Amino acid sequence: MEFFLQPLTLVTFFPLLGVLLLFFLPSDKKNLLRWTAMGFTLGTLGISLWVLELFNAPNPHLQLVAKYDWITVAGWNIQYHMGVDGLSILLLLLTTFLTPISIFSTWTAVEERVKEFMIFFLMLEIGMVGVFLAQDLFLFYVFWEFTLIPMYFLIGIWGGPRRIYAAIKFFLYTMAGSGLMLLALLGPGIEGKTFSLPDLISSGGIPTNTQFWLFLAFTAAFAIKVPMWPLHSWLPDAHVEAPTAGSVILAGVLLKMGTYGFLRFNIPLFPQAAVDLAPWMALFATIGILYGAALAFAQSDVKKLVAYSSVSHLGFVILGLFALNPEGISGAILQMFNHGISTGALFLLVGMIYEQTHTREIKVYGGLWKITPVFGTVMLIVALSSMGLPGLNGFIGEFTILLGAFGSTAINNPWYAGLSALGIIMAAIYILTMFQNMFLGPEGSIVEELKKRGHVLRDLNRREIIIMIPMLIFIFWVGLYPKPFFDLIGPTVDNLVAALQTTTLALP
Amino acid sequence: MPPINFNDIEVLLPLIILVIWACLLLLVDLFIPKKHKWLTALLAAFGLALTLGFTLSQLGSESNGFCATGKPSICMVVLDGFSVLVNALLLLTGLLGVALAYGYLKRMGIERGEYYTLMLFSISGMMLMAQASDLIIVFLALELLSLPLYVLSAFARSNSDSQEAGLKYFLLGAFSSGFILYGIALVYGATGSTSLSQIFEIASVGTSSLLLTIGAALILVGLGFKVAAVPFHMWTPDVYQGAPTPVTAFMTAGAKIAGFAALLRVFGSAFPNLSEDITPILWALSAATMIVGNLLAIAQTNIKRMLAYSSIAHTGYILMAFVPYGNPEVAPVSIAAGLFYLFAYTITNFGAWGVVIALEQKESKGLQISDYAGLRRKYPVLAGAMTVFMFSLIGFPPTLGMVGKFYLFRAVLSGGYTGLAIIGVVTSLVSAFYYLRVVVNMYMFAGEPKTDNEFWLRFTIAGAALVTVVFSLVPQGLFAWASRAVLKLF
Amino acid sequence: MIPLSWYLILSAALFSIGLFGVMARRNAIAILLGIELMFNAVNINLVAFWRYLDPTIMNGQVFAIIVFAVAAAEVAVGLALVISVYRNRKTVVVDDLDLLKW
Repeated sequence: MEFFLQPLTLVTFFPLLGVLLLFFLPSDKKNLLRWTAMGFTLGTLGISLWVLELFNAPNPHLQLVAKYDWITVAGWNIQYHMGVDGLSILLLLLTTFLTPISIFSTWTAVEERVKEFMIFFLMLEIGMVGVFLAQDLFLFYVFWEFTLIPMYFLIGIWGGPRRIYAAIKFFLYTMAGSGLMLLALLGPGIEGKTFSLPDLISSGGIPTNTQFWLFLAFTAAFAIKVPMWPLHSWLPDAHVEAPTAGSVILAGVLLKMGTYGFLRFNIPLFPQAAVDLAPWMALFATIGILYGAALAFAQSDVKKLVAYSSVSHLGFVILGLFALNPEGISGAILQMFNHGISTGALFLLVGMIYEQTHTREIKVYGGLWKITPVFGTVMLIVALSSMGLPGLNGFIGEFTILLGAFGSTAINNPWYAGLSALGIIMAAIYILTMFQNMFLGPEGSIVEELKKRGHVLRDLNRREIIIMIPMLIFIFWVGLYPKPFFDLIGPTVDNLVAALQTTTLALP
Repeated sequence: MPPINFNDIEVLLPLIILVIWACLLLLVDLFIPKKHKWLTALLAAFGLALTLGFTLSQLGSESNGFCATGKPSICMVVLDGFSVLVNALLLLTGLLGVALAYGYLKRMGIERGEYYTLMLFSISGMMLMAQASDLIIVFLALELLSLPLYVLSAFARSNSDSQEAGLKYFLLGAFSSGFILYGIALVYGATGSTSLSQIFEIASVGTSSLLLTIGAALILVGLGFKVAAVPFHMWTPDVYQGAPTPVTAFMTAGAKIAGFAALLRVFGSAFPNLSEDITPILWALSAATMIVGNLLAIAQTNIKRMLAYSSIAHTGYILMAFVPYGNPEVAPVSIAAGLFYLFAYTITNFGAWGVVIALEQKESKGLQISDYAGLRRKYPVLAGAMTVFMFSLIGFPPTLGMVGKFYLFRAVLSGGYTGLAIIGVVTSLVSAFYYLRVVVNMYMFAGEPKTDNEFWLRFTIAGAALVTVVFSLVPQGLFAWASRAVLKLF
Repeated sequence: MIPLSWYLILSAALFSIGLFGVMARRNAIAILLGIELMFNAVNINLVAFWRYLDPTIMNGQVFAIIVFAVAAAEVAVGLALVISVYRNRKTVVVDDLDLLKW
């Protein structure tokens, strides 16, 4: 019993109860199914808030640790080891926060096979929360791989016309990366005789040459997930085909698993390789920022535009991480959170309009502001947050990252920060162009077409507004008063950077 | 004539019980009317369960049997942790085989009592293989397990596919026996003995002889045929596709386990000194098997054929465990990993074949992958179970297949065969492609699949799915058992 | 006395002839004959080794006898299968047995 009452175990496996319950509910009572799933995800959110309450921010070490022997025979030393610290607390909250919101957004969007949808969604939440809390390499790998299965079904069953292609592409890409990671995590596991991450970090001393290869193998898995240029080609397909809720979770949480992986594994476990390769990572990040922004500009499909903007935004996160200084890393963590909120909100809004018009082509829209003022306002705020307007959340993250990258001794080249700043300007261009084309100007052809079909474009309804309000709160909160967020992250990041400086040669 | 040594009997007790039971069943079956063949199946299952009980009672005991007079080290059969584990696994295979066969035989109109008897005989051959400590016994066991399988493959007498499969299996099986036999003769010539321990002793004093190496290589070729390793796999797809499906299920698991047991016995106890020559060959066999099996599986549209190629591919994965067999530091871990993987594969595989059997209709209908379309809609539990099996075969958590692969890759990496591990990972990725196609069909396409409600079949499938998931979360006991079992071998 | 190598060469030659028969012939019965030839080549080997290595240890001879018995059992099964196929298909030429991709 003690095992199950650990806060971190509880927050991870609480949705499992929902899964079990859903199995026994009749599949034609759609609202019952929806509310059940909603209830369990809200419960998980509640537990995660309890975790936040218990979390002691100034302590830079793992907290609320649940540690039990799992497989400890025959030369194995695998533990059920969960813990939370400044690196993961925000992502944990982001996950438990976005999941109920996504489920709430499916009320009218998902009408078919609701039961299965909810089961897969709750399974997905278990995997995602587990990824952010696991402190044992094996456990992490299990959760990491496990998230693929429900996401694969979510895209493949409830997705758009090319859903099967997109689902398999998503699956194979991610699996390719994690296969290499599997081999790599066996490496330290064999040499250190343990799979426990804190033990491996504290014992240290992986030879530089080995570090290099292991770093690359882990990078394969994480870079595909992020996705970093040039491994991003699965992302637009997956995003475009996925149902709205799937897109929200994909952009909001699943991509963060990649950046989080860099932070949790690559940097502390292979510090020397991280320092040596930081310029390269920064280079790829910068290319990703510019490339993503340029392609986003060229898209005619609004969901694809948001997808490519993700590539660009996550380039910032990578840049910040490999600045390897406190500013860069805390900025990156905050930016992960911000991106989850902003891009999640963008996908939600796109989904809300798509539900009415069934098209995502930008050019058929126009003049929506007059018809749907509330929708327009919300969209404007979210868009501005996504492009990094001061006073909104995106700015804080990106600014801190650029600050870190500019002064980083690991990257040692201010050009990357300079070029990346260009990415922010490009973001302003493509986001504002999109907004202008859709919401301003003359009425688009879709309005006429809908009228012909006897359908009037309506504004956001109450449910949709309820969904957007918490998102907007976070957008302003982080933008205006980010201190509580930095307080959560700060101590752990300082500790991480200090450890880096003692274990590596190159960093002064 | 020396008096009967009761120790000898004890060593082979489960086997003896099984053989006697099979002989009696053959007689009893004559008096069971055609309408009541369930009784034969029940009796066969009971015999297997009884034998399983006796096998498990041997846990922890170690002994030799039928030794040369005055030379207790030269023995014909051996009882050790390894043999007990493998025997238990084989008997489990048999029980699952009976459960899968019962309804199928009735549905296809080929229900005859000999089926179960032949299966019992085949299992007794497999068990003898696991206990053999002399090349003569290895050969005898090989034939004892193969001959009933030839007949079983051709069991559907009116079905041309099945006949063809039986003949092909027979011809290639006998052919491979010829190789093994020639190899054994050469080894005997090089060392003057057929006892595995004797061969090891003699080979470790003298310089390595060419005759011995060639002999060992020929035995490897022969066993390669039996376990369906590339390039000796040509018969596999045809036979697995043509044979009645429960026989195929039984063959993919049982024959594979027995083949690997023989490989381990012969190479692990007689030829560790040849590892310098044999290990590269095993490396290449394993790599080729993984690559070819997985690549050819992609093109298949018939699910039996696809699973046949998948079974070839899995032979490759298990072969990985045998690559470092000559390195006493790595070999125990590695072989234990191989044993665990065999267990994982057996359970998953039987489950998957169970679903195939559930959907198969008369005259080989219902065997295309496209026939699985819409399975989720009509039979959600069946589809769910199949999904578990497919993900387990890919190696995805939370399934036994994933734990098995993790264990296996770890062993291979600690042996220093990084290249092989990478091939394993990449081919797993390839395999995801064709396993997922089944899942796609079941969940994402519409269709009208048909199955009959057969209790034992459903029971087996559900049980296999449950074990696949649950034991992946608590594999501790199995890990411990597998690694204890191989302890005394090296 | 005839040296051991002569027997080995004879046996190897017989084995190869059998092997060639299996590979080259298309008639199932002929393939079976080839396999039998391979088995008997092994028997020559076994008996020759027994005689030349240590005639007091009977392993080789016993093994040869076991091989006889097993080969007989195998032929019984094999011919039964051939007959059964012939009943179904009216042919025993393996090239014609192409319902399954060979």
